[in-house]
Amino acid sequence: MKVSLNELQGLARKAFGGIGFQEGDAMDAADMVAWMEAHGLNGIEALKKGLDFLLNEDASQPPAIIYQDADVCVVDAGKRTILGNASLAIELGYAKCRARGLSVTKIRHCHNRMLIVGYLSRIARRNMNVTAFWRNAHEPLTEILVSFKAGDTEPEICMYSLDAVPDETEANDGITLIMANHANLLANLNSDEPLNDLLLQTRDTMTSWYERSLSEGIDVDEALWERLKVLAIRTLVEASEDSRMGAGAGTSDND
Amino acid sequence: MTPVVSTARIDGLRPASLVMDLARLGSMHASRLSFVRSLTRKMLTEHWQITRTRFDLDANGHGLAIYRLNTPTNRYHCVIFSRELPPEARSDRVIAEAWDLTFALVDGEVEDSLLAHMADNVPLQEAGRQHPRVLVLSRANKSLRNFSHFVTALADGRQPDPAWLTAVGYLYRTTAVYGNGKFGIADFARLKGNPDFNRPFAAEMCAVYMLRHFSIEQLNHLARARAPERAVSLDPDLQRYLGIGNSTGLGMAPFLINHPQLIQQWIYGRERALAYAQQQPASPPKRDQLLALLRRARVYLQQTVTEDAAQTARNQATVAAVVTIIDWLQQTPASGDLYRQLTAWALQHCPLEAQELIHSLLIELYPEFTDTLDDEFGYQESMDLKPDMKAEHLKALIEDKFGWALNYSEQDPADNYWFWYRSAEKEEPRLGIRHQEAGADKELPLAIGPRLCRCYHRLVAFLQNCPTAMVVEFLLAHPEQKSCVRRLQTMADTPYGEIRANLWHRDMKPMHLLRTKLSFFGAGRFDPKSERWVRITLFQGAPLVHELNDATLSVAELDDWSFPAEPVLQDNHPEPGHIRSIV
Repeated sequence: MKVSLNELQGLARKAFGGIGFQEGDAMDAADMVAWMEAHGLNGIEALKKGLDFLLNEDASQPPAIIYQDADVCVVDAGKRTILGNASLAIELGYAKCRARGLSVTKIRHCHNRMLIVGYLSRIARRNMNVTAFWRNAHEPLTEILVSFKAGDTEPEICMYSLDAVPDETEANDGITLIMANHANLLANLNSDEPLNDLLLQTRDTMTSWYERSLSEGIDVDEALWERLKVLAIRTLVEASEDSRMGAGAGTSDND
Repeated sequence: MTPVVSTARIDGLRPASLVMDLARLGSMHASRLSFVRSLTRKMLTEHWQITRTRFDLDANGHGLAIYRLNTPTNRYHCVIFSRELPPEARSDRVIAEAWDLTFALVDGEVEDSLLAHMADNVPLQEAGRQHPRVLVLSRANKSLRNFSHFVTALADGRQPDPAWLTAVGYLYRTTAVYGNGKFGIADFARLKGNPDFNRPFAAEMCAVYMLRHFSIEQLNHLARARAPERAVSLDPDLQRYLGIGNSTGLGMAPFLINHPQLIQQWIYGRERALAYAQQQPASPPKRDQLLALLRRARVYLQQTVTEDAAQTARNQATVAAVVTIIDWLQQTPASGDLYRQLTAWALQHCPLEAQELIHSLLIELYPEFTDTLDDEFGYQESMDLKPDMKAEHLKALIEDKFGWALNYSEQDPADNYWFWYRSAEKEEPRLGIRHQEAGADKELPLAIGPRLCRCYHRLVAFLQNCPTAMVVEFLLAHPEQKSCVRRLQTMADTPYGEIRANLWHRDMKPMHLLRTKLSFFGAGRFDPKSERWVRITLFQGAPLVHELNDATLSVAELDDWSFPAEPVLQDNHPEPGHIRSIV
């Protein structure tokens, strides 16, 4: 079925509220999903994959700070979704970068990582160059690089696979953010060796997709939509005679 | 903040402490800057063409009508479905499921496939899946008394008594006008680059204007169908005096609270227009124009009918005040600061609604400035954190800019009396009494004052242990405060935007919220049906469709339609049982 961007944002916001997200987190999470979907980056699919995890997580807990100094911070998301509270970790990196010119933020143990792009768009709009990097640990090993230029609302995204899989001692479920106040961090893909299975998503592609989302609507899976509606209903108060009085209107149409 | 269009800066703005008082906001009247006025002005200056392309109505007025709108750059269509409504299904509540009319404003052509889709879905309203080329979705019910009386009179070969339209100024009343992506229709973002409808609620107001035109044509059709030989068409003066009604409730309130940047832009525009007018030297012709406007408004308010005793008293007080204002103006020579003297005098001697009436009329006097603001009422909203701000600075910011919110007390029952929530019935916003009614655990976060106050106290406690911390560190300790901090950091940069009231307080009047928004729409004839429900009229007095391209009248003449008085028809013989004896 087709829905509008505003409809997707609105229902997702209510559904996140129904799950137990704080108001600000519900707004941010909904905006992230809708932004991704409107730009052709499968936000709805990512939400669908993560929804069962979300329902069993305590989204109210902020990420724990493991280490920080003036330039660097490492936070632990506690194996929770990036949607819940990663925004504060990103804002911490932003604050450090504003003070020092460049910051590095590592968010460990999180899922739904692709959805972080929706929030990074806001950071870039606030005149910050930002690059996010993470690996998907499954075979083949892939690396994802998302780079925003300060002031732009769309990033460049590239994903490629690696031939050699290095030994790892722990699961690779983190994400690294580099922010720079003044330096452009856009990825240079002119490496000496060709990148395997390179998928490049350009700003122009995403802008076109966004325009199309506005003019043609957004396709959503009906089953997911119904599921979101059920979650959203948790925020509503069951109707009663008292509540009908609370609307303040009569029931007659007597003019 | 960056407005959509560069703003004209102006000194002498009224302080937010005065302007953003809820009772004052709830006393505002429509003005030259209201959305119905700016839309019709645009239609007039750009000579929009409106033509009927389909009018398949039966003798009962049921069927399909389609109107085409050609603007200088685009084409739209208004598609109207008229169906029989059983008496038991007739309700003006948003929770109704059937209506006399359902209609939609469409971007571009209406191909057969789109029309078929609309026929299946538009009549269902919220229960349908609407097409993304639909810009506005709405529905309306008849004013049964007016409809019956008007059809009978016209079929009888005479004009209806104008007093019927003074009592209830419309044949149709909308119960919801949906835009911005609701139920699958087009997002407002799609209209960002659209020169016709990029102003707030312009497309919605246009759809309502088209409904008004249809109501006139349907009325004439019904009279002709009933008495083809005797029927006459509605007199042009009555056509002009015919508006469209709207009944609305608490659904207006969340919008005002959830879009503070947009509200800031609206109030800022109005206040700049007022400040500009107040700075102008009052020439004798301008003073005469102001007097003429005051006299017209006095008649309008004298004629306004409402069953609500409190609103009736306010209207009467305003009428009485207008008499004294006219006296004052006639006795005070035109001078360089006449308007400032007037508003200062009114502040001391007139009720709020009379003060705000003066402001609306002053704005009317200087279109050369006021009309330049028409395109500055939109805003690309975004609330951003400033995470590197020192928490101590945030505390000072709250004390400096939001001191009005810090009077809230957790312990005072009066401060915590109401709670706002959405009902499972079509998500209608409602008010409940805390500790008496169920649902407080799901309340909507609309009471910004108490939220700011709570945030402030958490901040004060946090600073005792972390005096040099940044805002982001405060938020990591209190993540539930994120949206509140983001909002106050954003809104602190603006003079207006936050309504200075505790929306939980026992004495809070929801009607003030409704009227605030409705006055910007351009609503008249405020007719409260309870403290939370109001009927109003839009477009009463507005130019007619054929007048949009009437070369015999200037735009200035056609645009001068505020506070319309009841027309006096020549050679009309109203039937016995005059409306004055009915209302």
